[in-house]
Amino acid sequence: MKEQNFSYVPDEQELEKASNGYIMSLVAVVVGLPLPVINLLATFVFFLANRRSTYFVRWHCTQALLSQFSLFLVNTVGFWWTLSVLFREDVEISNPYIAYIATVLCFNIGELVLTIYTAIKTRKGEHISWWFYGPLTNLICKS
Amino acid sequence: MKKSLFQALLLILIFAGIFYGLSQVNWMKLFRVEKVTDALEKQLGDMVWSDMDKKSIESGPEYKKLDSVLNAICKGNGLNRDEIKLHLMEDAEVNAFALPDHHMVVYTGLIKEAKSNDEIAGVLAHEIAHMELKHVMKKLVKQIGYSILISITTGDAGGEVIKEVLGILTSSAYDRSLEKDADLKAVEYLKNAKLDVKAFADFLYRLGEENEGAVPLTWISTHPDPKERAKYILKEGQVTRD
Repeated sequence: MKEQNFSYVPDEQELEKASNGYIMSLVAVVVGLPLPVINLLATFVFFLANRRSTYFVRWHCTQALLSQFSLFLVNTVGFWWTLSVLFREDVEISNPYIAYIATVLCFNIGELVLTIYTAIKTRKGEHISWWFYGPLTNLICKS
Repeated sequence: MKKSLFQALLLILIFAGIFYGLSQVNWMKLFRVEKVTDALEKQLGDMVWSDMDKKSIESGPEYKKLDSVLNAICKGNGLNRDEIKLHLMEDAEVNAFALPDHHMVVYTGLIKEAKSNDEIAGVLAHEIAHMELKHVMKKLVKQIGYSILISITTGDAGGEVIKEVLGILTSSAYDRSLEKDADLKAVEYLKNAKLDVKAFADFLYRLGEENEGAVPLTWISTHPDPKERAKYILKEGQVTRD
């Protein structure tokens, strides 16, 4: 993750909207912790609502959406694996299951910390580009 | 683009690496899952067995027949015979089931229905497989819940829960895949003990045909289709049906 210069200086309203793109996924954590799709949906709805917004806002909404999407994939596997452990007689708690849940938990906590950090920095007007997600957002989001 | 693909691959590798590393830890031992489950199974076995209202037959020709078949299976497979608590019960129902902590219950109706010791051996091998593959506790944990099972042993749950446990184990089948696992393991036991696998399949096939009769064939009616089971048992045993 690194701070970069953006192509223009965004105004106060843009900073708030862009920061809210990250906050959306955090708000959804409270509501949909057991359901991995809720975070993604909340971020996606916010992304749709701002798809005609300024470049700065769209860029940060896209970065937030991409990070939520990859998290959604690993969380979904964990979610269905947990349901199988709970309800299927032929699936039980095992070392790989606990290891997977621990791994997913590490990634979720990491992503949560980064999201909070980026939301704060974005609100202050700093342009934070994440490792992997930043360059990917550059490819998708055009000015 | 190339850089993004490389980073995506690296991210997947980091995830896989952490997962692999954590998989090497024996969490089950660390959290004492198996130890706690074994202790729980022992307590549950004693409680459920003492709650059964039928008297166990511990002698006589039928019990001796059952005991000799069980001994043959255990001897042929290196299983500890003393660990299995065999109970023969007077009941016309064709039924046999495993309870927690290696309690095995067989009804006299099943002995009467079987035409040979090899047919009985198939049923016993199937029930031993459920015990050895720990299906009994898996089923109870899924259907009753771990916390309620623990509350039975601590006396917090009422007698109704023990009756529910008994009902689940005596008159309902395991998950389809677990039943198949038990059948295939039973074939392995029968082959190792040099017992007739075909007799087991024949018994299932015959019970399947008789399922509409007056005597309740619980062991058959609660399990997956007996003819289908007979087919894969024969295939696993690599014998053909006449």
